[in-house]
Amino acid sequence: MRGFLLRRLLLALFTLWLSATLVFAFLLLLPGDPVQAILGLEASPEARAALERSLGLDKPPLARYLDWLEGVFRGELGESIRYGKPVAELLWERLPLSLALVLLGLGGSLALSLPLALLALRFPLWDLALSGLMAFLQSLPTFFLGVALLYLLAVHLPLLPASGFPGWERPLEALRHLLLPAFTLALSRAALLFRMARASLLEVLSQDYIRTARAKGVPEGRVLWKHALKPASLPLVTLLGLEGGFLLTGAVVVEAVFALPGLGSLALTALEARDYPLLQGLVLAMACLIVLFNLLVDLLYGLLDPRVAYA
Amino acid sequence: MKRTLAMLALGFSLALAQTRGGELRVAILAEPPVLDPTASTSQEIARMLYDNVLQGLVKFNEKGEIVPALAERWQGSPSSLTWTFYLRKGVRFHDGSPFTAEDVVYKFNRARDPRSGHTHPEYYQDIQSVETKDPYTVVFRLRQPNQDFLFNLARPDSVIGPKGRVEAQRTNPIGTGPFRFVAWERGVGVRLERFEGYYEPGLPYLDRVFFRFLPDANAQIAALRAGDIHVIGLGVSPENALVLGRDPAFKVVTGFTTTEITAGMNNSRPPFNDPRVRRAIQHAVDKKALVEGVMLGYGTPIGSHRSPGESCYEDLSGYYPYDPARARALLQEAGYGPGNPLRFTFTLAAPYPYERRLGEAIAAQLGQIGVQARLEVVEWATWLSRVFRGADYQMTIIGHSEPNDIGIYANPNYYFRYDSPRFRELYTQYLRTPDPKRACELMKEMQRLLAQDAVNLWVMNAPYLAAMRREVMGWWTNQPTPSLNVTRVYLAR
Repeated sequence: MRGFLLRRLLLALFTLWLSATLVFAFLLLLPGDPVQAILGLEASPEARAALERSLGLDKPPLARYLDWLEGVFRGELGESIRYGKPVAELLWERLPLSLALVLLGLGGSLALSLPLALLALRFPLWDLALSGLMAFLQSLPTFFLGVALLYLLAVHLPLLPASGFPGWERPLEALRHLLLPAFTLALSRAALLFRMARASLLEVLSQDYIRTARAKGVPEGRVLWKHALKPASLPLVTLLGLEGGFLLTGAVVVEAVFALPGLGSLALTALEARDYPLLQGLVLAMACLIVLFNLLVDLLYGLLDPRVAYA
Repeated sequence: MKRTLAMLALGFSLALAQTRGGELRVAILAEPPVLDPTASTSQEIARMLYDNVLQGLVKFNEKGEIVPALAERWQGSPSSLTWTFYLRKGVRFHDGSPFTAEDVVYKFNRARDPRSGHTHPEYYQDIQSVETKDPYTVVFRLRQPNQDFLFNLARPDSVIGPKGRVEAQRTNPIGTGPFRFVAWERGVGVRLERFEGYYEPGLPYLDRVFFRFLPDANAQIAALRAGDIHVIGLGVSPENALVLGRDPAFKVVTGFTTTEITAGMNNSRPPFNDPRVRRAIQHAVDKKALVEGVMLGYGTPIGSHRSPGESCYEDLSGYYPYDPARARALLQEAGYGPGNPLRFTFTLAAPYPYERRLGEAIAAQLGQIGVQARLEVVEWATWLSRVFRGADYQMTIIGHSEPNDIGIYANPNYYFRYDSPRFRELYTQYLRTPDPKRACELMKEMQRLLAQDAVNLWVMNAPYLAAMRREVMGWWTNQPTPSLNVTRVYLAR
């Protein structure tokens, strides 16, 4: 177990370094620079030169990269070019919202898909209807789903606020603002989970021990809940781990539709402004989260299925 | 008597209740990099802060005229070389410090120094000296007459902050306007609050203004309908304008802007280094159809680089009438025909919806005479570095929103790569003439010369389209300057 953790940790560190380095390299390949983005269209060459100097952009890329790497080792992510604030500070401001959104989205998609999958297996007629609905949901682009829900639930039936985020000072109000975007995320991911859960339950239900349980006269509902659900959830956990990463990136779209100040919208601004330090910090943070998700999944595996050994 | 007084008091308080107080929430398309218009030319800064928070000696009113702001009045010498500004007395900055001539001198000494990092030092390069005569009188001496001097003093770049304050203005701007800056919530919006010490009595009417960053047009409309915001300050799409205009809960404001939507052609590169090709393009595009079909009737066709709402405008929209046969003939003359069609890449900037759809429609119109325009959509940062700075393009389309910006054609390195000694001469003459009437004639002549040379395809003056809840009163109908002025806006109840 300890060896496993150590190896995972080293791999994680390598992943983080690689992703940050690749991002740095790709940004250099992209046309456009932060100075133009800040000064605007008709900046004079003198003003450009002055800003470049003050931002340290007059140094060669390799020197900038090494500076950044050194900073990371000292635990500093540098300063955002666009906002003129420490990157870490910006990340901490935005992280809670994105995490809350992803967790709500994940929880929501689980809460939707598992009961529906069970329902589908109990009643063949429901199965057809639900499978159809889920296939339809899966084919909808997230932004379209978001806008449709926005109009339905915030504009026509004004149940929930349309967009924006009031801050965490009033937690209930904050939650209310997150419900609609989280629901959008949940719906968009529920389709995949539903199909996975359904397939996996079907497989488990064909196992011998389920037949034994049924033969013993255990009621069908109890068979499903007690004996089938736990083993059937194994592939779901894998999927959830992957989904956690997906959701983090998929949240970009949802954050844009609902104008939420999360990591996703920060990444979009950073990319548009060619804000190198901010974007690197963001990639590092997101990579950290994805690695964390995967690690959690691996550990959960062991809890759910004792046959999995950490070798 | 008592009853009358009570009635009067009641009436008065009712009138007050209708007009004063409350928070106005306005959608803004993008978040600017800083909040100081002298540090970045991002138009969003001026949209939120010009005249609302930050003011200069003079300013633009709703019609685009130059009116007093921090200067009560001013006087130019007959030679136009000496300008004396008499400052308003008793004006305070939002931090409580008094506004005096020293602040003006500091500001313009910084502005004209190209090393200070101030935006557009070229606006101020004809200033030889700025001096205080007394705490409320400032004298500018110019090296040579400059027809645009006063105009440049009204631009957002010319706002005045407290003396010596430069770095902090970028994120925490202090000015003399009717509203003071309260907070910039990154990624969320900018909050302003009524400034109690404002010098115009009774103004402003609102207590608070919240400019919210809402980059997505759908999100903007939804937020407006759901009541999260009161106003979409600009850039409402023509379809949404029609729909919202029919809804009694909302109203749509349409007016003029100073934005020339311009299909820029690279005059230094094939195929557009051939004037016959450029003229053929002018004849092949039906601007009226673009206004009707693409913009649902919003917008005004133009034929040169000036907007109908600006002074000394010359209507050249009919200079090249829509005539596909003539366009084909010109192309033939230039060596293009059915066997060898004109082909080029048409670069569109992703974030600008009007321009993108106009570009697509223009490509379709050109296709009807056999011209093959290959559309390429690029991200904004890419557009800036490749097209704008590198002039690495053939044709592109973008809105030029700066007012009074015909001077860009006097710069042969500007991305159109238009190199005309005649135009440069006209422009210098225009700048140096002290006589406004003569300057106006020269301005018109410049417009005609640009049309004659068919430098670019000037498609239309972009409409100003804003949508708001019915109770919002006093919103500017025109956009003579990129500012969403809320000084006299109020919420009727």
